[in-house]
Amino acid sequence: MKRLKDLKDNGDKAFVAYIMAGDGGLDKLRGQVEYLQKTGVTAIEIGIPFSDPVADGPVIEEAGNRALAEGVTLDKVLLEMKSWDFKIKIPLIVMTYLNPVISYGAERFAESCREAGVSAVIIPDLPFEHQQLVGPYLKKTGVTLIQLVTLTTTENRLEDILDAAEGFVYAVTVTGITGVRDEMTQEVQEFMKTVRSKSPVPVYAGFGISKTEHIEMLRDDVDGFIVGSAIVKAFHDNKIEDIDPLIHAVTQRNPV
Amino acid sequence: MTKVKICGLQEAEHAKAASAADAAGFVFAPSRRRVTVEQAARLAAELPESVVKIGVFVNAELDEVLEAVRKVPLTMVQLHGDETDEFIRSIPVEVIQAFSVRDIEDVKKLEQSIADYVLVDAPGIDFRGGSGRIFDWGLLKGASIDPERLIVAGGLDAVNVGQAIGSLAPYMVDVSSGVETEGKKDADKIKSFIKTVKGDSMQQATGTENVTGFFGRFGGQFVPETLMKAVKELEAAYAEAKDDADFQADYHKYLKEYVGREQPLTYAARLTEAWGGPKVYLKREDLNHTGAHKINNAIGQALLAIRMGKRKIVAETGAGQHGVATATICALLDLECVIFMGEEDIRRQQLNVFRMKLLGAKVESVTKGSATLKDAVNEALRYWVTNVEDTHYLIGSALGPHPFPTMVRDFQSVIGRETRGQILGKEGRLPDVILACVGGGSNAIGMFHPFVGDESVRLIGVEAAGEGVDTARHAATLTKGTEGVLHGAYMKLLQDENGQVQEAHSISAGLDYPGVGPEHVHLEDIGRVEYKAVTDEEALASVITLSRLEGIIPALESAHAVAEAEKTAAAMGSDEILIICVSGRGDKDMATYAEKLEGLA
Ligand SMILES: Cc1ncc(COP(=O)(O)O)c(C=O)c1O
Repeated sequence: MKRLKDLKDNGDKAFVAYIMAGDGGLDKLRGQVEYLQKTGVTAIEIGIPFSDPVADGPVIEEAGNRALAEGVTLDKVLLEMKSWDFKIKIPLIVMTYLNPVISYGAERFAESCREAGVSAVIIPDLPFEHQQLVGPYLKKTGVTLIQLVTLTTTENRLEDILDAAEGFVYAVTVTGITGVRDEMTQEVQEFMKTVRSKSPVPVYAGFGISKTEHIEMLRDDVDGFIVGSAIVKAFHDNKIEDIDPLIHAVTQRNPV
Repeated sequence: MTKVKICGLQEAEHAKAASAADAAGFVFAPSRRRVTVEQAARLAAELPESVVKIGVFVNAELDEVLEAVRKVPLTMVQLHGDETDEFIRSIPVEVIQAFSVRDIEDVKKLEQSIADYVLVDAPGIDFRGGSGRIFDWGLLKGASIDPERLIVAGGLDAVNVGQAIGSLAPYMVDVSSGVETEGKKDADKIKSFIKTVKGDSMQQATGTENVTGFFGRFGGQFVPETLMKAVKELEAAYAEAKDDADFQADYHKYLKEYVGREQPLTYAARLTEAWGGPKVYLKREDLNHTGAHKINNAIGQALLAIRMGKRKIVAETGAGQHGVATATICALLDLECVIFMGEEDIRRQQLNVFRMKLLGAKVESVTKGSATLKDAVNEALRYWVTNVEDTHYLIGSALGPHPFPTMVRDFQSVIGRETRGQILGKEGRLPDVILACVGGGSNAIGMFHPFVGDESVRLIGVEAAGEGVDTARHAATLTKGTEGVLHGAYMKLLQDENGQVQEAHSISAGLDYPGVGPEHVHLEDIGRVEYKAVTDEEALASVITLSRLEGIIPALESAHAVAEAEKTAAAMGSDEILIICVSGRGDKDMATYAEKLEGLA
């Protein structure tokens, strides 16, 4: 995860791609990761499907349901990742709801993440207050627990959460669930400025980012972008090349 | 619920014991219990803010009363002499006027009192007020006095207070000599008196949850960060509203004037006879406006939402009872209302869907997953995340992130509190067994909560076994589930070995949920409440039983409790008492009954 800091220090912007593990079959995952790595993304978030993804909009929920229908589980995804023999040059991040982790066992989860080469974990329904459930185990195995902040995070909480942040901070750009959005509000820009001024680690904007306009608008106030639904949809429609311009809009130093 | 006043306090130790009471009395009139203003002030300091401090006077000078009000300070004044109306009007706090009632003439005097409250007592012997003799309650039967103004005193103790409450349903009961041993206050007797009237009052005040919203290991606030602010705001707003007398008064006013409470505790003579075991009583939540207990909670939360400045409400519903209750209260209070309901539930609860629409609510059909309650909660949560700044999520059961499980329990506890007073009034003792059905667990926790501290009372929660707990089609979360997190709380779930939540099944839409409220999981964990499961078929059979024997067609959910009660009753004796919470009436289930019970009619 140190790479992310270096990137920021160089003034470069990060692009984090979210994919749903096993959408279209678990055997697809490896190819998707290799493709994204080659395209030049900064890191990849691998989503674990869950029966009740309340933080997600329809695109990711449906992808999750397809993956569940394929029999994909947290265990299988971690085993698959552990088996990879190609060179992984970028951080891989697991995004999962809390219940599969509890069911798997938090300690065992941390151990398996390390074995699978996972750099960080995002658990959207594990609020800061309850992180002792999983955090200490991850710490022991050197896996980072990513903190999320949102437009509704109060000032005091923001300070506490940022104090504990490692790797990067996931700054949620919408008051809502994941999914493609047309507009980003002015309020978001102010929010990003605030978070960035206080955060000890890079700040990445996510939820709803799907257009180059979003990136242009927020570019100067964040250190990177997380793109989910747009990529999940593109993979599902077999049109992943369509995402290239979005990736380049972020990773190229002087976008045209 | 009837309030408790402990009168004649003199020692700090006894003030402490009285801190779970609603009111404490200090006697400034000549009496062996007399205290000085300074003593009373020191005692008052031992008591929580919420305990009303009452000064008792007999024909005192106004200045003396005013000085005590100021210095103790007193929050109420109780007058036992020949004080005039003018004197009463000069007192800046609420006034209780006491009357020694010997005959009908005395009752007439009492009816004319302009005081905020009237206290009835048996005639004194040694001094006026606080005779310790039992007053003839029959005298008050025909009196035109609002029970909400009535305080009963005179010879009460832990044994007879139930009868006083049962026959007069007063605002408050006042005890003094009944909690003394050899002329001195007795801390144990004070506590036991309070407990008899109010249930375990420590439980009342805080329940089994701790400050962070956990019941033992269960509960918590497992929600996306976007919701944390709303959840914390709600927590703070509820904590404040809970102790605000105006809020409580408002809530109780709606329960009384709009819902039609208090609901009877009906003695079920034919059921008792048919089962040949205990005396069976039915708590009649089916008589509530809109047909089930759900409205007790909907009113409380809607009032809280308004207090928080939110005029938009989102809710989920399974059987549609909560949806109807929410839509009803939104119509009444002019709130915008969106209800999420699974497509499958919409199909089986057509009538309720139409009721919601008629009431002006927007009903959103949820087609995802099993298209039942769990999926409706998911969609309601998503809607809340997106509209959190101006919308309150009015959850329908004792589920979800803290403070919902606590708050819903508190709003539903009116069921158990009424039941407690009623059974004490009718039988002079607590029941042996209480049963209630458990979906998310709101009617059950509301019924159980005021009895949790009474170890002699066996509490049984009844889940849906669907087609059988050994099949894949049931909703018996406590019987078959494992620990996990769903919809904001650490609780028990029906889930597979990978932590994917499974679909529940029950013929009853209101029990068709794969989780159960965290407090129930805790109560099971500590062994305080037993949980049993009843199949679709058994529940349907009980629908017929209750309909034919008592003329009460229950909701399918409630029929689960009846079915388990029949089994429980088989092992009980005729000197025992069993209470069933009839959580709702069967109107909404008529289509199902017509289909499944065809040929019977
Ligand atoms: C009549 C009735 N009883 C019981 C329930 C179950 O809910 P809970 O367990 O929260 O009381 C419902 C839910 O819809 C209901 O309508």
